[in-house]
Amino acid sequence: MKISKTNRKYLTGAFALLLFCLLIGFWPSSTPNIDLPKTVDFNYHIRPLLSQNCFVCHGPDSSSREAGLRLDNLEGATALLESGNYAIVPGDADAGSIIERLRSENPEMRMPPPEAKKIMSEREIALLEKWIDQGAEWKPHWAFISPEMPDLARSIKEEAPSRQIDYLLDEELARRGLKKSDKASKNAIIRRASYILTGLPPSPDNVEAFLSDSSEQAFEKVVDQYLASPHFGERWARHWMDLVRYGEAMGHEFDIEISHAWEYRDYLIRAFNADVPFGLFVKEHLAGDMLKEARYHPTEGYNESIFGTGYFYLGEGKHSPVDTKQEEADKIDNMIDVTSKTFQALTVACARCHDHKFDPIPTTDYYAMYGMIESARLGPHPARSGKEKLRTFSKLKEVKQLIRAELAKDWGIALEEMSEESVFQLARFFEEGENEEVRPVRDKTADGYQVIADFRKGSWDGWYSSGFAFGERPLMGEPVFDSKSGALKAMQKGYASSRAYGTGVHGILRSPNFILEHDSIAIRAAGKGGQIRLVVDNFQVIRNPLYGNLEITLDDEAFKTYYIDLDLVKGKKAYFQFTPGNYNVHGSNVYHQDRETYVEVEYASQFTGGEPELEMPEMEAKENVKLADEKKILAKWIENDLSLQDFAQLNKIIDKTARSGPGPKLNQLLELRDSLQTALYDSTHFIGMAEGDAVFSSVFIRGSINQQSEEKVPRQFLSAVPARTKEFPQTGSGRLAWAEAVMDEGNPLTARVIVNRLWHHVFGRGIVESVDNFGLQGKLPSHPELLDYLAVKMKEEGWSIKRMLKHMLLTEAFQRSTVAVPESQQKDPTDVYLHHFPIRRLEGEAIRDGMLAVSDCMDSTLYGEPIPLHLTPFMTGRGKPRISGPLDGMGRRSVYTAIRRNFLSPMMLVFDAPIPFSTFGKRLTTNVPAQSLTLLNDPFVQDQAYNFALNLLTKGPDKIEDRIAFIYSRAFSRQASEEEIKNGIAFLQMQAKDHLCSLEEMKNDTRLWADYCHTIFNLKEFIHLL
Amino acid sequence: MNRREMLSRFSNGFGSIALLGLMGSVPFGGNLMAKAASLAGAGDKAPHFTPKAKSIIFLYMDGGVSQVDAFDYKSRLIKEAGENPFDKFKVDATQFNNYGKLMPPQWEFKQRGESGMWMSDLFPHISTCVDDIAMVNSMFAEFPEHTNANYFLHTGIGIQGRPSMGAWITYGLGSESENLPGYVVLDGGLTPPGGLDNFKNGFLPATYQASVLKASKVPLANILPHEYDDQLQLNKLKYMDQMDQSLLGKLGHADQVESTIANYELAYKMQSSIPELADLTGESDATKKLYGLESDDPNTVSYGTQCLLARRLVERGVRFIELTCPNVYADRWDQHNKLKEGHARNAHAVDQPIAGLIKDLKVRGLFEETLIVFAGEFGRTPFSQGTGGGRDHNPSAFSIWMAGAGIKGGTVYGKTDEYGYRVIENPTSIHDMHATMLHLLGIDHVRQTYRFSGRDIRLTDVHGHVIHDILA
Repeated sequence: MKISKTNRKYLTGAFALLLFCLLIGFWPSSTPNIDLPKTVDFNYHIRPLLSQNCFVCHGPDSSSREAGLRLDNLEGATALLESGNYAIVPGDADAGSIIERLRSENPEMRMPPPEAKKIMSEREIALLEKWIDQGAEWKPHWAFISPEMPDLARSIKEEAPSRQIDYLLDEELARRGLKKSDKASKNAIIRRASYILTGLPPSPDNVEAFLSDSSEQAFEKVVDQYLASPHFGERWARHWMDLVRYGEAMGHEFDIEISHAWEYRDYLIRAFNADVPFGLFVKEHLAGDMLKEARYHPTEGYNESIFGTGYFYLGEGKHSPVDTKQEEADKIDNMIDVTSKTFQALTVACARCHDHKFDPIPTTDYYAMYGMIESARLGPHPARSGKEKLRTFSKLKEVKQLIRAELAKDWGIALEEMSEESVFQLARFFEEGENEEVRPVRDKTADGYQVIADFRKGSWDGWYSSGFAFGERPLMGEPVFDSKSGALKAMQKGYASSRAYGTGVHGILRSPNFILEHDSIAIRAAGKGGQIRLVVDNFQVIRNPLYGNLEITLDDEAFKTYYIDLDLVKGKKAYFQFTPGNYNVHGSNVYHQDRETYVEVEYASQFTGGEPELEMPEMEAKENVKLADEKKILAKWIENDLSLQDFAQLNKIIDKTARSGPGPKLNQLLELRDSLQTALYDSTHFIGMAEGDAVFSSVFIRGSINQQSEEKVPRQFLSAVPARTKEFPQTGSGRLAWAEAVMDEGNPLTARVIVNRLWHHVFGRGIVESVDNFGLQGKLPSHPELLDYLAVKMKEEGWSIKRMLKHMLLTEAFQRSTVAVPESQQKDPTDVYLHHFPIRRLEGEAIRDGMLAVSDCMDSTLYGEPIPLHLTPFMTGRGKPRISGPLDGMGRRSVYTAIRRNFLSPMMLVFDAPIPFSTFGKRLTTNVPAQSLTLLNDPFVQDQAYNFALNLLTKGPDKIEDRIAFIYSRAFSRQASEEEIKNGIAFLQMQAKDHLCSLEEMKNDTRLWADYCHTIFNLKEFIHLL
Repeated sequence: MNRREMLSRFSNGFGSIALLGLMGSVPFGGNLMAKAASLAGAGDKAPHFTPKAKSIIFLYMDGGVSQVDAFDYKSRLIKEAGENPFDKFKVDATQFNNYGKLMPPQWEFKQRGESGMWMSDLFPHISTCVDDIAMVNSMFAEFPEHTNANYFLHTGIGIQGRPSMGAWITYGLGSESENLPGYVVLDGGLTPPGGLDNFKNGFLPATYQASVLKASKVPLANILPHEYDDQLQLNKLKYMDQMDQSLLGKLGHADQVESTIANYELAYKMQSSIPELADLTGESDATKKLYGLESDDPNTVSYGTQCLLARRLVERGVRFIELTCPNVYADRWDQHNKLKEGHARNAHAVDQPIAGLIKDLKVRGLFEETLIVFAGEFGRTPFSQGTGGGRDHNPSAFSIWMAGAGIKGGTVYGKTDEYGYRVIENPTSIHDMHATMLHLLGIDHVRQTYRFSGRDIRLTDVHGHVIHDILA
C-alpha cells in the first residue's frame, strides 16, 4: 500500500474524523451493550475486525487467499468476485455478499467458516454493516499516517511541554468524566523519579534536600539531577538491551561466548548518558561503520559510532550447523525481526515465508532487507581507536613517503651518474600495467582452477582492506634495510601483510565473495598467531567437528602453502578473511590480538585435481630507457604507486645505486616511523559490521532456502512506510540508506515508536500498549493526539531522549497519587487514562540493585567485563561457565552481571527478565511462588539483609525507634509512622523471644536486625513503585 | 490490560481467590487460572473435549536412542553389515561428516508379548510391557543438531525462547495440585543441550515455566527456609502480612499488590510440600524394588527414584512431568562411538525403572489417566560413524513410544525403509506427537493459542495431526 500526497491531505481529515469519534466517546472500550457509533471509523472500528477475522484468508498474503477476495484494500473488497458477486458495495450493505455470508446459518456459506473457529458477534457484524452503508470509507492504517502536531488551545500554546502533555491527558479525562487523583507525597514522587530514571532508590540525603526545597523548581532540580546521574545510562541501557536481545553467549549446545558483547553494553550506557540524539543513535546501530562523520568519545577520542552495529551480533548461534545456509537464514531472520521491531515496531519477520498475513509487508520487503544484511560482514573492530589513530596513521604515511623521498634523493643522484653509461636495461613498460593476468606456468591438471588472490602484483584487486594493518596496497616496494650497514638493501616483493605498519596494528583484509566451485583451496601464507578464515555463508563460529578446517591459525614465519578441503562446503558462497589476531579456536571464539601476532599472504587459488603453480610473468628487458623515465618510476615509488614492472626494475638496480649508509635525517625519520607505528597498536576489540559485496537475495519460497525465486529482490525500504528514501546504492550493503529511511522526515513510525517506549517506561504502559507492534494486530493508541504531539516534539527538539523524559516526568500526571478516586476507578479500572499513577512492580534488576543500594553494599563502578554469575547446584548443562561468580556479584549493578544464554540469572528470570531471543519492549509482570521463595530464602537476599543490619549497627542511630526510622528512610524513602515503629518493635520483641533472648539482650545483635531487614525486603512497598 | 487479564497475569488466579476469601482452598495454578489465562490470550478455553489423560510423564531420552538397535528391526543391516551405505541409498550430511559402513543392530531383536512387537534385548524390562505400548517407528525431526532438535522436541520450534510443551499444557489446564506447580522437570543429572531453556515458558507468563526438581535433600532452589527455627520465619511472615495489609489499606485498590501478598502463602506451603514429595520413606520395599532402587547400579537407583517421584507427582495432580537422563558417563544416548557400551549403560539405568513405573501405575489404577511418552530428539544412522562403533545423528527416522491413557497398546505405527534410515510410511512429526499429547489431555492443539508478536501462536505452529491410529 502506498500513500500518495493527495491522499495524505485527505488522511489528515480522516484523522480529524477519528478524533470526532473519540470525542463522542465510543472508543476504545466498545462493548456489545453500547449502541453503534454515529460514524463508524475504519481504523478504529472496522480494520481490527477484518484483520482478526478475515485476513488469514482474505488479507495481503496472496498465497493463502481464498475465492480471490482480499479485504485489506478498497480495490480488492469491491472487486467483482469469481462468483459474480461483490463482497462490498460501498453505500449499500445489502448489495454486497459479505454481510449475508457473515450472518448465514448455513455452515457451507457462513463466514468465517466453522473450521476457522472464529465467531463474529452480532454487534461486530452490525458495525460492519453500518460502515458499508455509510460509504465504506477506507484509510491507511493509522501508524502509516505521518504524525502531525495537534491543535492546542491558544491558552496552552505558550506553556511548557509538560503542561501541554497534561492538557492533552486532561482532555481525555474530562471527556470521560474521570476525576484525577490528588498529588502524591513528595517522598513517593522522588522515589518514582529516582527508580524510573536511574533504577535505584533515592538516597536519604536526596530525599531530605527535596523535602526541604519549597521552590517551584524543586522537582525539576531532582529530575535534572537524576538525568545527569551516570546511573541513568545504566538503567536505560538495560531497557534497550531488552530490545536487541542482548546476550554475551550464543546459547545452542555449548553457549559459546560472544566476543566482547559487553563493549556494546558500555557503549549504550555512554550513549544514554551523553544523550546522543536518537537519530544518530539509530544510524550508529544500522550503519555506524559507514557514517561520513563518526562520533568520537569526548575525552578518550575513540570512535563511538562503530559500536552501534554490535547489536547485529548478539543473537543465538550454532557451533556446527549441518547446513550453513540455513544457519545464515536463521541468523538474518533474527536480525530482521529485532531490527524491524526495535526501530519500527513492525513484525517484518512474519513475511519470511509468505506476505504478512495482516500488515502490508510483502515477502519482497523481507528479502530486500535480507540481502542488505547478507551483504554486510561481521568481524572485529578496534574498541579504542579513533581520531588520534587516524592522525597518527596519516602522519605515518607521510613519514614513510619522506623516507622514500630521502632514499630517492640519494638514489636519483646515483642514477644520474650512471645513466650516461647506459649500462643497465630497464624492463619493458607495459602501458596497461597491472592488467596482466597471472597464469600458471605448469598447469598440472585439466580440471580447472581459479585464482582468488595474487598480491604479488601489488594490488588489492577488489579485496577490502579495513583498519590500518594491511595498508592501502600490498607491501610491494617497501624499502628493506640491511640490518648491519643500515643501507637500502632491497625492496619488499608484493604480498599482503598485517605488519605493513608494524605488528599489533588492527586491520582486516577480506576478499570479494566467490563461489566454492572446486575441491580445494591452496593459500601461500606465513605468520604467527594471525588467522585465515574461509567464511562460508557468513558463518563464523568456525570449529570442529565440521568446520575446523575452514580456519588456519598460522605458526610459521616462512611462507608455506596451506590447503583447505572444500568437500563439505562446495557450491557455497564464501569470502576470505585475514586477521592479524585470532579467534581462540576451540575455546571461546573471542577475538584476540597482541603485539606479536601477524598474518601474511602471497596468493590463493581454488582448484580441482593438482594444485596450479602460479608464477610471475617474466619481465622483458628494455634498452635505452631515458633518465626522465627512470625518475618517473622513482616518483611513483615515493607515492607508493608502483606497477609490477616498475617494481621489478627498481629492485634489479638497487644493488648498483644504493649508497653506503643512511644519513642522520633518514635515521630520524626511521625512528619517528617506529614510534608512530607503536602508537597505532590496538589491543581491545569487539565484533561489529563491515561492508562486503552487494548481495541481492531471492525470495525463499515458503521460507525454504532450497526453493528460491529466480528473480532477485531489488533494494528498498519497507514499501508501506512512506519514507522518502533515496535510491539505494547497488554496491556494499545499503545499510546507510536503510538507516536514512528510518530517520527520514516522512517516516511516520520512528518518532512515535521511541516516544511510546519512553512513555511506557515512565507510566508503565505505552500509549500504544503493544510497544513492539504498531501493525494491524497491535493495540490502538489510547491517546492518538498525545502520541503525535510527543512524536513531533521529539523531532523538533533534536531527538533528545533526556528532554523528552523530562517533559514526561514534570507532568502533573506523573506526580499523581496511586490512590484512585473511587468513581474514576469504576469507570476506568485499568487506568487507561491515567487518572491515578499506576502502581507497578519493579524489575528484577531494580529489586536487586535496590537491595544493594539500601544495604550500602553497592559498588557503583561503571562499565567493564561482565561479572560471572553466581552458579547454584540447580544450574547445570553444557557450556557451564568455568567459574561461579560471587553471590553478591561484587556488589555491582545487575546490568554488569554476565548474561549467558544457557545460564541466565535465576533471580532475574523469576522476576520476568526476558529470555534474549527477540525484542521485548514490554516485560511481563507475573506473580509466581518462586518470587516469594526468592525473597524469603535466596542467600543473596539474606546476605543483603545481614549487610543492611550491619550497616545499621555500625553507622546508624542507637535507639530502636530511630533505627526503624533509619531503615524506613533508606528502604522506602519516607518516615516511619508511629504505628509502624510500634509494630516494628513488637516484631523485634517477638523475634528476640523466639531466639530465646530478650529484645534488650539482642538490641545490638546483627541477627535480630538482619531478621528485621529481611522482612523489609519482603514488603510489597519495597518491590513496588507507588 | 483489562481486569481479567490483570488477574491472570498478576495473580495466577490468587488475586481473585483472595477477593473471594477462599484462600487456600483452590488448586495451585488451578482451573481458575486456566480460565483466566485463556481469556487473557486469544486461546480457546480448555479442555475442549473430554480428556483421557490427567497427567503426562515425558521420558526424555537425551541425545537420541538408536532406533535400529532398540525398536526398529532391520534384518538387512545384519545381512549387509560392513557394506558401503553410499552404494545403498542417498546419504545426507551429518553432524560429524564421517561416514562408516552399515552397522548391524548391536542387540538381538525378538518379537514380544501377545502383540508380537519387535524389540531388542537392549530393554529387557520394557520388552515385557510391549502390549501396553504404542510404538511409532516413523518419526522425523527437522534438525540434525542437538540443540535445535531439543528446542523443536520441547517447544515445537527449533530456536530458543519458545514455550515448552509443559508450559503450554499448564497454560491450558493448570494443575490439579493445591501446593505444587503444574509443570515439573525431574533433573536426573544431565541438562539437555540448549539448557534449561527447553523447559521455559517462552513468551507465556512465568507462571507456566517448569519447576526443576532434583532428587536430593534440597529438591528445589530456595525451597528450604534459612531460619533455624520455623517460628522465626512464621514471625516474619506474620509481621510482613500485617505491614502489607496496612499498605493495601492505604492504596485502596491494588490487584497486583494483593496477589503478590497472596503468593506468600503458597510459597510457604511449598516449603513443606516439596520436601514431603521427595521423602520416599513411606514407600514399601516392594515398590522400591520394582523401580530398581535396590540395584547395584547407582544410575538405575537414581533414575528409579525419579520414576517413583514422577508417580508421586501424578498422584498429587501435577500435569506435566519430564524426566531428564542420569549421567552414566557415556555422554547420554549420543553414542558417536562405542555405542554398544554407551547404550548398554544408559539402558541399564532407565529400563527397569520405566517398566516399574508402568507396572506400578497399573496397580494403582493411575495408568489409565497417565500418558507416558518415551522420546529423544532424533534417531541414529544405520551406518557407523567412521570406525568407532558409534552412530551419527539421524533426523530422518526414529522411534518413540507412548503408553497409558488413551493409547492402544501393542500397536506399531509407521514404517521406515529397509535400513531404518528414512520414513516410508505414515511420516510423523514432532508436531503430530504434540497434537496427540494435547488431544489426550482434552486440548485441541489448533484452538489453544497465545498472542505474541502480532500472531496467535500455538505449540504446533501451523502443523500437527493427532495420530489417531495409536489411540484406543
